[in-house]
Amino acid sequence: MEAAALAGLVLVGGIAVLLLIGAPISVAVGLSSTLAMFVVVGFDNGALTAAQQMFRGINSFALLAIPFFVLAGVIMSQGGIALQLINAGKVLVGRVPGSLPQTTVAANTLFGAVSGSSIAAAAAIGTTMGPLEAKEGYNKNFSAAVNVASAPGGMLVPPSNLMIVYSLVSGSSVAALFVAGYLPGLLWAVACSAVVYLYVRRHPELRETQRVGLREGARVLLIALPSLLLIAVVIVGILAGFFTATESAAIAVFYSAIQSAFYRTIKLRDVPGILLESTKITAVVMFLIAVSTIMGFVLSFSKIPELVSDAMFGFSENPVVLLLLIAVILLIVGCFMDATPAVLIFTPIFLPIVTSFGIDPIHFGIMMIFNLSIGTITPPVGTVLFVGAKVSGQPIEGIVRQLMPFLAALTICLIIVIFTPGLSLWLPELFGLMP
Amino acid sequence: MTAVKNVLDRVLGWCCIVLFAALVLDVGWQVFARQVLDAPSGWSEELAKYLFIWLGLLGGAWVFGERGHVAADLAVQRMPEKVQRVTAVLVQFATLMFAALTLIWGGYRVVHLTWDQTLTGLPVNVGWMYLALPISGVITAFYAIYHTISISKGDEVPIDLEAETALS
Amino acid sequence: SAGDGTSSKGDTKDGGAKAEKTLKLAFNQQPNHPQFIALDAMGERLKQRTAGKYDIEVFPNETLGTQKDTVELVKAGTIEMSMVAAPLMESFNKDFIVFNLPFTFDSQEHQRKTTNDPAIVSELYSSLDSQGLRVLGSFHGGVRNMYTSKKPINTPADMKGLKIRVIESDTNVEMMKLMGGSPAPMGMGEVYTAIQSGVLDGAENNELTYANVKHAEVAKFYSYTRHLMLPDYLLINPKVLDAMPEDVRKIFLEEIAVAVEEEGQLWGQEIPRSKALAEKAGAQFNEVDAASFTSLIAPLTQQKLDNDKIRGIHAKVRAAAK
Ligand code: NA
Ligand code: NA
Repeated sequence: MEAAALAGLVLVGGIAVLLLIGAPISVAVGLSSTLAMFVVVGFDNGALTAAQQMFRGINSFALLAIPFFVLAGVIMSQGGIALQLINAGKVLVGRVPGSLPQTTVAANTLFGAVSGSSIAAAAAIGTTMGPLEAKEGYNKNFSAAVNVASAPGGMLVPPSNLMIVYSLVSGSSVAALFVAGYLPGLLWAVACSAVVYLYVRRHPELRETQRVGLREGARVLLIALPSLLLIAVVIVGILAGFFTATESAAIAVFYSAIQSAFYRTIKLRDVPGILLESTKITAVVMFLIAVSTIMGFVLSFSKIPELVSDAMFGFSENPVVLLLLIAVILLIVGCFMDATPAVLIFTPIFLPIVTSFGIDPIHFGIMMIFNLSIGTITPPVGTVLFVGAKVSGQPIEGIVRQLMPFLAALTICLIIVIFTPGLSLWLPELFGLMP
Repeated sequence: MTAVKNVLDRVLGWCCIVLFAALVLDVGWQVFARQVLDAPSGWSEELAKYLFIWLGLLGGAWVFGERGHVAADLAVQRMPEKVQRVTAVLVQFATLMFAALTLIWGGYRVVHLTWDQTLTGLPVNVGWMYLALPISGVITAFYAIYHTISISKGDEVPIDLEAETALS
Repeated sequence: SAGDGTSSKGDTKDGGAKAEKTLKLAFNQQPNHPQFIALDAMGERLKQRTAGKYDIEVFPNETLGTQKDTVELVKAGTIEMSMVAAPLMESFNKDFIVFNLPFTFDSQEHQRKTTNDPAIVSELYSSLDSQGLRVLGSFHGGVRNMYTSKKPINTPADMKGLKIRVIESDTNVEMMKLMGGSPAPMGMGEVYTAIQSGVLDGAENNELTYANVKHAEVAKFYSYTRHLMLPDYLLINPKVLDAMPEDVRKIFLEEIAVAVEEEGQLWGQEIPRSKALAEKAGAQFNEVDAASFTSLIAPLTQQKLDNDKIRGIHAKVRAAAK
């Protein structure tokens, strides 16, 4: 057998078997890639090259934004920021019938826009909104489903760690990706809001509104202003050139830390615990990035992406068919795998194919993140779904039933995102971020 | 062995806390130096990268101790407990193999290869940076052996969903 | 076999039969770069002249890693060759600084002749043999000039307070300070956004890179300071060279000399095309007060020539200038 084919077999077979027996994804990818490396560069240099590639994967200043956005997210989920954003959400959508679930959607989107983590959003917003909605007579499974469905918007609205990971593997600009995510992120929120609207229309008893008076509204927004300002600080800072994405993440950390200290929601003795919690998430992501770099090397060295793209072009040469095929594959992958490892594993394989028929890497990145964000709420494995279920205390099955219309709406939005490049590319072009 | 693990957990945890704190201060300094003092610092960016690498690799080893790395263990969850114990031991063996081959052996070879290369901006050589790999590997290997023993003895559950880190 | 670090496979661009030995060469730029074209063509000729036994496969776009990573891969024997920028070699042997100093070469021609003249370079280029590295040939890497976003540079006074991206090397940092700017060492990938957003005021590079990475869109004033002319080195692991049969090695070295010549010519042809491309994106090119920059940077060259070995090499290079 040819070395390339054997390497491919070791890689795919190894990952499949190891995942099946429940190995951590980083071990499955890392060990299989090292073994495949032995096949292509020989036993003596295989381990050395694998180790070197692991190091190369995480030796990047751009990646440094990840621990900082993670830390900012952890601080925010412990501080009082969620409550302020919920109050701000009430001011924004309080007059709409079904205002509490609509507030959940708005607050999740705002939280996503400051924190970068959809899990933190689902936990923080769901915990507060669940009981309020129950008091107004909402079905608990429905409330949980609204929270779960609207939380992943945080990965599309900057800052987003997933975008940083994608920019690393695709070589595209973080700033352009960040800006590209706004409209699709907004589309995500609008889709959730529309489903809530239709649900409330069928349940006249739930048409509650939470009218906030002008004066009260102004007061609430004033209190929330520092949190809302952080959205502007992050993105304006990057666009206006005050700092890079990494530095903006550091600013977010200092900003949220000072805010939390001011409101006394975090004390000095909480700091080690917060840092350790952030280390955990950061280290897991970094290990995944490191081992995926070994895999990437084996792939390019043995030209496996070319083989895959030949096979896919053999299946069809129609770009529409191929894009839909990729979307379906990613939806299936998303059912079983978290978004971060999926971006790391599938970008090097699919990106050369889609760029060969003229799809912009920024557009593809947004498509992929949208696609895999849906995966975070689909059963059987959905990280956001699990967290949403946990904070609501409801069974997954019940939530999934209420989640179905949201999944349908989001899938339609995914198709819109795929076939409307302007939705992703208009803003970065407007700001001159597209080289 | 449990006593050793407990000490290691604590020491490693504090190392990560200190590295993370140093990283925050270093990048904070970088922004301050460039924006406020208008004197970009040459060493802070390099230092940040290397603090980050040590944090990621030591932190990654520590997470192996917690059994916190993300897995896709859906199929195994449906299996009977006996099968789960077997697969869990196999998983720990795979982790040990990965630690031994890639992190320890490969890491050692890279350190050896790069020991006399200098770095721009910092008074250490490239080998020192790569040293994080074999060290992370030795710790990971220890944890894999520890978990293998604990799982076989029945002291640890075969699948620990609570421990797994959520990323999204 | 796979075990000796040289894979026995490797598809060739001409679709012909596979070579017995495919030498893998790492390259960090795009396939339209003169160096890629020359090396790819060299592989074809090597294959023809060795009756299909030897071939070169160039991996463009940094797919096998950054230049620093690929040097390690060459040392280890994972790949056979890599093309790297000259300043990188300073971290292996400080004497390599000799060709990285301002005003060392008068022309592309002068650079090509002297940096490939065995009488001048053979000792330096084989000084790392024990570490698994040898410089096979020196290719032209362009002439570096300043480009900025706000106004053209005419005199050193125009540089005052400007944050300029430089290569991550101490010499380049010092040089930028002498020229009057504020040096910011940064990876190439972040430069576009940094200039666009104002984190940087400019950078310095040759016309090809300037046009290729589209920096003209964000920094339209390209000023001919001509402060550096850095070579790029084709590296090989000497073990690979030793393992070649005598006749193959002879062909191989002959073809490298041809590739060096061809790359120089391609580079010359590429400059007007790159300038036109940059001008279309809004670039303006201007000459500067060269004498005042020369007098500022000249001390750096003398200061960095700190041992007899490199002073000797430098003297020979200067003697060859007409
Ligand atoms: Na976000
Ligand atoms: Na899922």
